[in-house]
Amino acid sequence: MATKLIRKGSVLLAVAASLGLAACGSSSGGSGSSSSSSKNLTGAGSTLVAPIMSQWQSKYNQLKGVTVTYGAIGSGGGIAQITARTVDFGASDAPMTTNQAASCKSCLQIPWALAATAIAYHVTGVTNGLKLTGPVLSDIWLGKVKTWNDPAIAKLNPGVKLPSTKITPVYRTDGSGDTYAFTNYLSHISPQWKSQVGTSTQVHFPVGLGGKGNSGVGGVLSSTNGSIAYIAIAYVTSNHFDDAAIQNAAGKFVAPDVSSITAAGATATSIPSNNAISIVDPPASAPAAYPISTFTYAIVPTKSPKANELKPFFDFAISAEGQKYGPALEFGTMPARVVSAATATIAKIHS
Amino acid sequence: MSVTAQPASRGPLFAGHSKLSDRIGEPLLRVLTGLAALAGVGVLVWIAYTVFNQASPAISRFGFGFLGTSAWDPVHLRFGAVDFIFGTLESSVLALLISAPMSVAIAVFLTELAPRVARRPTQILVELLAAIPSVILGLWGIIVLGPFLNNTLEPALNGAFGWIPLFSGSASPYGMLSAAIILTIMTVPIVSSITREIFDTTPSEFKEGAYALGATRWEMVRMVVIPYAGPGIVGAVILGLGRALGEAIAVTQVIGNTAGIHASLFPPSGTLAAQIASEYQGATSNLQVASLVYLAAILLVITVIANAAARLIVSRVTAGREQWAP
Repeated sequence: MATKLIRKGSVLLAVAASLGLAACGSSSGGSGSSSSSSKNLTGAGSTLVAPIMSQWQSKYNQLKGVTVTYGAIGSGGGIAQITARTVDFGASDAPMTTNQAASCKSCLQIPWALAATAIAYHVTGVTNGLKLTGPVLSDIWLGKVKTWNDPAIAKLNPGVKLPSTKITPVYRTDGSGDTYAFTNYLSHISPQWKSQVGTSTQVHFPVGLGGKGNSGVGGVLSSTNGSIAYIAIAYVTSNHFDDAAIQNAAGKFVAPDVSSITAAGATATSIPSNNAISIVDPPASAPAAYPISTFTYAIVPTKSPKANELKPFFDFAISAEGQKYGPALEFGTMPARVVSAATATIAKIHS
Repeated sequence: MSVTAQPASRGPLFAGHSKLSDRIGEPLLRVLTGLAALAGVGVLVWIAYTVFNQASPAISRFGFGFLGTSAWDPVHLRFGAVDFIFGTLESSVLALLISAPMSVAIAVFLTELAPRVARRPTQILVELLAAIPSVILGLWGIIVLGPFLNNTLEPALNGAFGWIPLFSGSASPYGMLSAAIILTIMTVPIVSSITREIFDTTPSEFKEGAYALGATRWEMVRMVVIPYAGPGIVGAVILGLGRALGEAIAVTQVIGNTAGIHASLFPPSGTLAAQIASEYQGATSNLQVASLVYLAAILLVITVIANAAARLIVSRVTAGREQWAP
């Protein structure tokens, strides 16, 4: 009798459970059919573009009532997310590699802001504006220049009292457009860097400490005397880090600021069909140009279900209205040539 | 449930029904419970399969040589795991070397020495350490621990014991020592709470017997409580090890994330989990993704071995317990 009761109970339980499961199944099926509002856009990627993005987000929401959600997860992550189509657009400071472009399946790159990677340092007793050159930067990150009073640095900075503190080079471990801009610059400057390390959003640094994201790198920088890092200019300004003036091809030492970044952007003369523009180490004909400047890109599939929402947002971003937020955030002004290339690319997006 | 079932089984109307429901219900129950059990096993097998499947491009390219290769260069597509395997084992073993004695001390204090009113609050506070999200512990590592190691502890260790390779070289805010300390903080609550529970199960007859023979409290702990709990403590430590081996976020935040094996504890290093956490999202090539997943497969194997060892030891303790029990 007792076993029968137990059986009876379990049958009821089992039936209840299966009914419950069925109910769950049908209810989820029902809610699935009503998709989320198509007026919203989601994007992810570059941390470099994040400050101006937040201005675009709020202004665009005011103008058009469209909410743009953006995750600053790093350029590499942005490319990965748009390749997986988990977001409506990706953002990267590095143009896609051939491998990435193939995986992304007919994605477009739209240059939509112009910024720079600064060289920030934390050395007790040394003030802002230390002078450095590309070869010295390369030697620091290759581990050949080890202390701050190394003759290579001292020679560039007569009158500056440099301590014998050990140099701790810092780098980004997550896929980063800053890493791309910095390694691209060093590959232009140093043949050894080009062959030994190369250019990418993630490389093998022979020496140094890795931090995750701008904040990870910033954390190392602020807590470690003797550290030096490449880091997005907006992040340097907002954290009041000291940053270096870098010698350009014309022999001038130039600090990153709106005018020197704009001058570097203006050297973009020929624009390839995929919009992958490299403006690091600009020619000597641009004496005011900061040598580690970079365009940053929106990455979007040519055929997107959100085409009708994406196109006006991109048009807004590259318009004078969108770009006017740049200077306050240390972004340069994009040359007209690049803006028209971007406009032409945006027109190719369709649903 | 049984209340509603009872009248149904008695009523003549439902007599035939009852047999029918038995005929359907029995197999249905079997199927549903079986499915639930299968789901648990299935997810594990599925995850393991996914990991090894996704790693296959790297496995076929590098083979088992990957395990012994020291390289991590995404640009030139050279990948190897030995630095990260070593970093994982070193950081975890170091953490347990510090946290195991600390945990045993905490457990002895809580079960034998602490005043009764202080026991429960202390125990709760220690166990609350386990409730701190690892990312917050990592932040603390960046903001507080890193500068302290770089400016104070590591120079002091180097000054006093610099002739030992472990403490040689210049100080660094992020590195093996930093990671090991963070992992120590994470494993203390786990190891100490299990150890305390095992201590609590020491039969009071044994303890009273020791006292009756004239043992002091320390002698009683040393000769009764600890030997009785010994294998259990080893099990607890290995469970803690399992936790430490797999920790990704906090370690990524403080270890400095580089490949390389160093004699010294100070320089930046890397672990399997930290390498996956910091590079997976931004990986630039399919081979790099596959290599990162290969690291995941290695980590999976290591943690499975550690957990199996812990289980084996714990089950031996419980078997032993029956013989011991008075």
